Amino acid sequence: MSSALALQSTLAVDAPALIALLCALVACGTLGNFLVLRKEAMTGDAVAHAVLPGLVAGFLITGTRSITAMFVGAACAGIASILLANWARRTTRLEPGATLGIVFTGLFAVGVLLLETQGARQVDLDPECVLFGSLETLFYSPTLNGEWYTGVPRALWTLAAAACIALIAIVLFMKELSLLAFDPSSARHLGVAPRWLERLFLALVSASIVASFEAVGSVLVIGIVACPALIAAPHARSVTHQITLSMILGSIIAVLGYALASHAPTLFGTATALNSAGMIALVLAIAVPMSHVAKRFIHRPM
Amino acid sequence: MMAPDAPFEIPFWGANTIMVAIGCAIFGALAGSVGTFVLARRQSLLADVAGHAALPGVALAFLVGEWFGLSGRSPWLLLLGGGISALLAAWSTPWLASKRRLGADGANAVALAGFFGLGSVLFSVVQSHPSGAQGGLRRLLFGNAAAMTSSDAIALGVIAIVALTTLMLAFKELSLLAFDEAAASVLGLRTRVLEWVLLLLLVATVVAGMQVAGVALVVSMLIAPAAAARVLGGSFARTATTAACIGIACALVGAIASRAVTHVPTGSAMTLAATAAFFLSIPAARVLRNSRARVLTERAS
Repeated sequence: MSSALALQSTLAVDAPALIALLCALVACGTLGNFLVLRKEAMTGDAVAHAVLPGLVAGFLITGTRSITAMFVGAACAGIASILLANWARRTTRLEPGATLGIVFTGLFAVGVLLLETQGARQVDLDPECVLFGSLETLFYSPTLNGEWYTGVPRALWTLAAAACIALIAIVLFMKELSLLAFDPSSARHLGVAPRWLERLFLALVSASIVASFEAVGSVLVIGIVACPALIAAPHARSVTHQITLSMILGSIIAVLGYALASHAPTLFGTATALNSAGMIALVLAIAVPMSHVAKRFIHRPM
Repeated sequence: MMAPDAPFEIPFWGANTIMVAIGCAIFGALAGSVGTFVLARRQSLLADVAGHAALPGVALAFLVGEWFGLSGRSPWLLLLGGGISALLAAWSTPWLASKRRLGADGANAVALAGFFGLGSVLFSVVQSHPSGAQGGLRRLLFGNAAAMTSSDAIALGVIAIVALTTLMLAFKELSLLAFDEAAASVLGLRTRVLEWVLLLLLVATVVAGMQVAGVALVVSMLIAPAAAARVLGGSFARTATTAACIGIACALVGAIASRAVTHVPTGSAMTLAATAAFFLSIPAARVLRNSRARVLTERAS
């Protein structure tokens, strides 16, 4: 009886969180490989902050937590932030990091202001949740006589869709995106249409981040965009190899982090719930330098 | 249950408000001038990392303080903790970038995820702490000058004044380092020491800004006034002075707005003021340039 209960609680609590985590990892981590190759790893951080006002505005305008309104608002804010930062950089000739930093903190401040002053705080969208994620609140809660899928948390569907879109886009545009990352000028000569491809890529990145943002929070978004790619980079032989490796290593480490967050308190005999998104981000970040050190010990004939 | 977050029982223009306003203004001056160096050394995103990285130190200091039976709300203890972890991040990120060949962007992202991840784990421990004092920590995320006490303002002011004095005394050496590291070392300056001074100044700004601007938004007060001053132009010393003035104005606007309107976090108000200052500086610079050109042509004719 107790084992059946344990299984049920695992199914209801841990499984949705883990599936959400892995979907977010696929959606952000695959595209994150190209961001890392383009030396734009911090774009993930910027977009994760900048989408907040769009998300809140979508909620405030429609008055419901409708996926489409919030998603459209957030994606608009994400793309607008990148365009605005690029425009400011071109007109002022400041370093890219500075204009990006000003634009995304400005937008984030608008989002926090809207959240604190408007009624959006009554919903579970509060500023802390935005930073630290809400993996703990994803429950599988089927109604008594409904179909099995009615109990699946809403965020899971969004995340699964984002992961599929990211995967399809990568499979379709693998060569073009690699060429754009390594050699933009020859990409133009070969007729890849780099500007349009770049826009498509940024739109995809924004969409993935928006989808993941609500469930995993902005801390973990930064972690899953950059860390898996950086963990895989020292061991990879090709772009495809790097993406595959980053997904495999990233999922193992992320699941490890989740287990650590949920089981460490019981080992120490306290009832404190640790923030799992933060723990996963921490474990992923620690794995990056470790992976670089491990490279020295793994002797591979070239 | 909540921390003494009741600013509205205090008269609006009481002694406390004036102390807090002075503290905010000094912080604004410090953030603007230090930001000029951060911008010149192209370390804007490192400043973002350092700001976020103060969180684990603050949370740990709170927990350690409670463990030893001190008050977890002692401002010096929290500032010390935040300072140590921000310094650790500001030092380790360039090290990761060069020694581990992650590149500046990769190292920034990794350090941000790591430090802020640890911060949120420790923060969740703090939040489940039985003591009622943890309410004071929540406002360090987005800043709340309205809930500051006089002792908070004094701690902030002391740190900011020491940092500002250091900056002014070493201004010439530090600006040489920011622009031409090779020349600085050829001229016999100790570049390693100066680099540490700049790191410490950055950390001091982050720590001083934690309570007013919050760890997530303090970076904006560092880079936006400095960027606006840079756009307006002039010599480096003049840029730093302009940046300090813009910083003071933004800090005061933020502090007053959060005092006057309920629920407005100071950090958000300051950040919005600073962002507006940056975007206004672009047309302002154009107007300045045009009027200067007109004066020159009038003189020539």
